[in-house]
Amino acid sequence: MDEVKPTKVIDARGSFCPGPLMELIKAYKQGKVGDVISVYSTDNGTKKDAPEWIKKSGNELIGIFDRSGYFEIVMRKSK
Amino acid sequence: MAINRKRVVIVGDGAAGTIMANKLRFHSTPEEIEIDVFGNSERHYFKPDGVQIPFGFKDPANSFKPTQSLFNYGINYLKANIRKFDLENSTVTCEKNRTFKYDYLIIATGDRFSTEELPGYDKAASHFYSLEASMELRQKLRDFKGGKIVIGQASIPIQCPPAPYEFTFQLDQYLKLKGIRDKTEIHYIYPLNRVFTIPNVSDFIERLMEERGIVIHKMFNVDSLDPMGKKINSLEGETLDYDLLILVPPHSGQKIITENGLADNSGYIAVDRNHLNYKDYDNVFAIGDATDLPISKAGATAHFQSEYLANRISNEVNGNAYFEAYNGDVACTTITGGNEAITLFFSYTRPPKANFESKADYFLKWTSSDTYFSAMLRGIM
Repeated sequence: MDEVKPTKVIDARGSFCPGPLMELIKAYKQGKVGDVISVYSTDNGTKKDAPEWIKKSGNELIGIFDRSGYFEIVMRKSK
Repeated sequence: MAINRKRVVIVGDGAAGTIMANKLRFHSTPEEIEIDVFGNSERHYFKPDGVQIPFGFKDPANSFKPTQSLFNYGINYLKANIRKFDLENSTVTCEKNRTFKYDYLIIATGDRFSTEELPGYDKAASHFYSLEASMELRQKLRDFKGGKIVIGQASIPIQCPPAPYEFTFQLDQYLKLKGIRDKTEIHYIYPLNRVFTIPNVSDFIERLMEERGIVIHKMFNVDSLDPMGKKINSLEGETLDYDLLILVPPHSGQKIITENGLADNSGYIAVDRNHLNYKDYDNVFAIGDATDLPISKAGATAHFQSEYLANRISNEVNGNAYFEAYNGDVACTTITGGNEAITLFFSYTRPPKANFESKADYFLKWTSSDTYFSAMLRGIM
């Protein structure tokens, strides 16, 4: 993870589902192929929803990382 | 006039602004607080009726009232649009360059349909989120002889999140009554991996949809429309064709909010979730659809927020301590078809339970415009 530098970081901590996922989708729509998008979240529902959306939309899930008091989901825009 | 009389300026004359003004008037005397409401709408429309009007299930004549008639005695309603907010000097300025000083500012500017985000929307889609659109859709449904209907929402957030499924259930009922349900496919699209934002309610609604033969497309985030080819495309790569597309338009906060630096490009104002104040300003608040709070954009939300703020401000003005907080309370009654409905109560920390439908809840919904105009909007309940 440390070697992957996000193109965009979304701090959605404190926001409830579906806020973090919708923020991620918004960043995806605005980004370009190859962009690495990272979202910080404290909402457990996002841990399930975001990877499912990343998979269904044909993008790459780089990882889900536990941080202190929140977690980080990182994806790469593949198309 | 009392020496310490305070002036509360409310910007917005929709549900949030009107309920706020009327509740505050009940909680304070004109000698204690002057209430000035700014807005410029001719009529106040009860939006929840939009899920019934297109089917002829409700007479639209009872769904709106003249805005000016809805403010209680002792409230100044100024028909003007505010263009500038100067929080440092505690003033707002209207389009005619008149500036007004306030002691408390409550922003209740609501949100708007940002169809510019989705090219082709106006040609491709119908909706039921305004009286005019509902009437147009009513005619389209009358002319509809069968085919494929795609229904859903262009994005999240929207006003009244349950409305798309409420509409879908009644569409199913309407088509059965019309005798063309067997000639019609109903396809329901939703941006998440369920059919509603809240998981346990979603499970309940999904079961009802399956029972009624409604085809569900989860994780369908609308990417583009092809009005000529009658196709709708998702970000996830799915394409659906349609004969009739009923799509709740994209929503955004008001441009004037972004232009004044009160919000980012979304136009939704970030406020303290428990006290509704904007940033560190203890005399500036936002309520209703204008905020970015993670709760339903609904009249019921504004109703609960107004109750909190009216209590807080009236107590502060009178020198009393007030320790309560807004806890995210929302309540809504949503139609599930077959003249039945469910009522959901929830807050930031308490998810709603969707256990059963009832005709009593439907009656509650059916009479809600009367309750709204006579009691809720007036600040009585």
